[in-house]
Amino acid sequence: MVTVSVLTLLGLGFTAATLLALASRVFHVKEDPRVEAVMDALPGANCGGCGYAGCEGYAIAVVNDPAVAASLCVAGSSEVSIAVGELTDKTVAAAEPQLSFRRCDKLAGKVGMRYEYHGMPSCAAATLLMGGVDICSWSCLGFGDCIQVCPFDAMTLKNGLVYVNPSKCTGCGACIKACPRNSLELIPVRARVTISCATKDKLRAVMDVCEAGCINCGKCSKSCPAKAISSVNNRIEIDHKKCLSYGSSCEELCVKNCSRHILRTNCPPPTSSQSIETPPAQASTDNSIQANP
Amino acid sequence: MEVFQLFISAIFVNNIVLAKYLGMCPYLGCYKERGVALGMGGAVVFFTIMATLCTWYIQKFLLTPFGLDYLQTIAFILVIASLVQFVEMFLKKMVPPLYAALGIFLPLITTNCAVMGVAILVQREAYDLKTSLLYAVAASAGFLLALILMAGLRERLDVCRVPKAMMGTPIALITAGLMSLAFMAFKGMIP
Amino acid sequence: MQPFLKEFTKGLWKELPPFRLVLGLCPVLAVTKSADNGLGMGAAVIFVLTLSNLIISLVRHIIPKKVRIACFIAISATLVVAVELLMQAYAYPLYQQLGIFVPLIVVNCLILGRAEAFAAKNPVPLAIADGLGMGMGFAMSLTFIGGLRELLGAGTLFGKYIMWEGFQPFAVMVEAPGAFLCLGLILCAMNAFNHWQARRKGQDAPENPMPGCESCRACSHGK
Repeated sequence: MVTVSVLTLLGLGFTAATLLALASRVFHVKEDPRVEAVMDALPGANCGGCGYAGCEGYAIAVVNDPAVAASLCVAGSSEVSIAVGELTDKTVAAAEPQLSFRRCDKLAGKVGMRYEYHGMPSCAAATLLMGGVDICSWSCLGFGDCIQVCPFDAMTLKNGLVYVNPSKCTGCGACIKACPRNSLELIPVRARVTISCATKDKLRAVMDVCEAGCINCGKCSKSCPAKAISSVNNRIEIDHKKCLSYGSSCEELCVKNCSRHILRTNCPPPTSSQSIETPPAQASTDNSIQANP
Repeated sequence: MEVFQLFISAIFVNNIVLAKYLGMCPYLGCYKERGVALGMGGAVVFFTIMATLCTWYIQKFLLTPFGLDYLQTIAFILVIASLVQFVEMFLKKMVPPLYAALGIFLPLITTNCAVMGVAILVQREAYDLKTSLLYAVAASAGFLLALILMAGLRERLDVCRVPKAMMGTPIALITAGLMSLAFMAFKGMIP
Repeated sequence: MQPFLKEFTKGLWKELPPFRLVLGLCPVLAVTKSADNGLGMGAAVIFVLTLSNLIISLVRHIIPKKVRIACFIAISATLVVAVELLMQAYAYPLYQQLGIFVPLIVVNCLILGRAEAFAAKNPVPLAIADGLGMGMGFAMSLTFIGGLRELLGAGTLFGKYIMWEGFQPFAVMVEAPGAFLCLGLILCAMNAFNHWQARRKGQDAPENPMPGCESCRACSHGK
């Protein structure tokens, strides 16, 4: 009795083991050991900021495709890019660290409500209903769809507006994909000037709904000596590269000339080494704690 | 007719998730998207059928002739674990697209009680090979159905206002309870 | 003695398996039609969990890392067969009541989860304490749910009728939906209690425990 059962189990186990051993030979797939090494180097947050389906997708692409840059991981710091670059023999140009920025200050603008909303607490759902709760069609609705998707816990909700914590934000862009209103954008961490309105409307249409909305008057783009500000698709945008490379001699003319305080100087976090000399007196609007008067 | 009855009974009346409580972990676990649920469900369907086939032969030609019925549990889990490993290697080499779709679920299959449960159930019911396989198809289809329904419901639940204490597992369990209640209504279909 | 006690007691309340870790829910739902069944299943799990923790902790240095899950499964399968034979010999009615859920202890995430998360990393005495504590907690919870369902569904407890005369039993409680509803409400009560406790201490409300892979970590998926 005992012998039979022991023998049977031994036989079963042995057969299975042999089969598996054989199978692992026959069906052996050559896997690049570098893929695993790259995987280990990546943060593993699967945020999708690199444009691939998760960290594994990027690891496979960066190892196998020489055209894929090693610096695509935005979630990891530059150390990650350097590590990936070393593993894949690719030179890394230091990636400009970015962070997410909310282009709306509806509290300062006293934006009213179109209707009372009692539906699902999600921006995506609220946008479907007559283009959102707020009178302004471009505002941050503040239901926090972006907070839910943020893999790094960098966003918080306060007084119905979303705030980005710059020390946690890695600039992966997951929130920007989640926002149905386009009120978030990525800006370089050391950006000189930020825009706190995302409207595409003009003049009267803006003045009626928001006291702090951009009326597209064009004073900023005319005053900028670096020609870094322009209207793209009816919305003002700053070319941060041009702006930063111009240096500090412009004295932020755009900020001074903006009659509605849409353009604000951005004070970069103290960690960035090549920070630009912003006069501390003007640096009233940190990205994270946008002052609501 | 009997085949039809077996099918309806295994999918709706005695659904392995909602009436027999097998495969609870994936059912309540991480599957909040229908696509993911479909992948997991598909993997379970495939492995339930394969495992039922293999274990049926093991039981018939190895365990029963030698009077080793008491070794059923250990033999079955051994077979299922090896099968999962084998199929994983096979898919990786031969059908990479399928591996990419199902790969992440494969390690979970070994510890999925639905696969093992169906293999044991058909032995306890003493079905012949044809009925066993039919039952495996139907039962795993029932699992797939429940999983997809639940994932769909949870997609909706995500945007609902749920009381704080109810969030997560409790509301999922209550939802499952109501689903199970609804499925109980199918009992009238089998005379 | 101190760490031993700590590992033992954590399974009884702080990490109570089905409620706090949300592990191994299949038997929790399936065999709790009555308090008797719950207790029987709990006893079987205590036996398997304690011994599997003991054995795995003993051989933890010998097992190669790559095949550890297979080894854990083999060890627990052997123990489950032993339990099956014991039950057939001494508690046959119970064995019939529990049905396929006795062999299915093998694939219960609780066993594998504890083996992977605790026994494979800790010395023998602690592993035994962990197994005993977790097993007792599991048995306790099963008996509690079983008792509640039996009481509401049939008015009995351990087979004795104890409700008042004219009590209308909620038949649904002993049917399949009752298990889901009952466990859901108990979990909800646990969460509400946790939140209340945290609020009283002035802390942020803790996250509700989530089921399945996140808590079991038996495979790469749950990392």
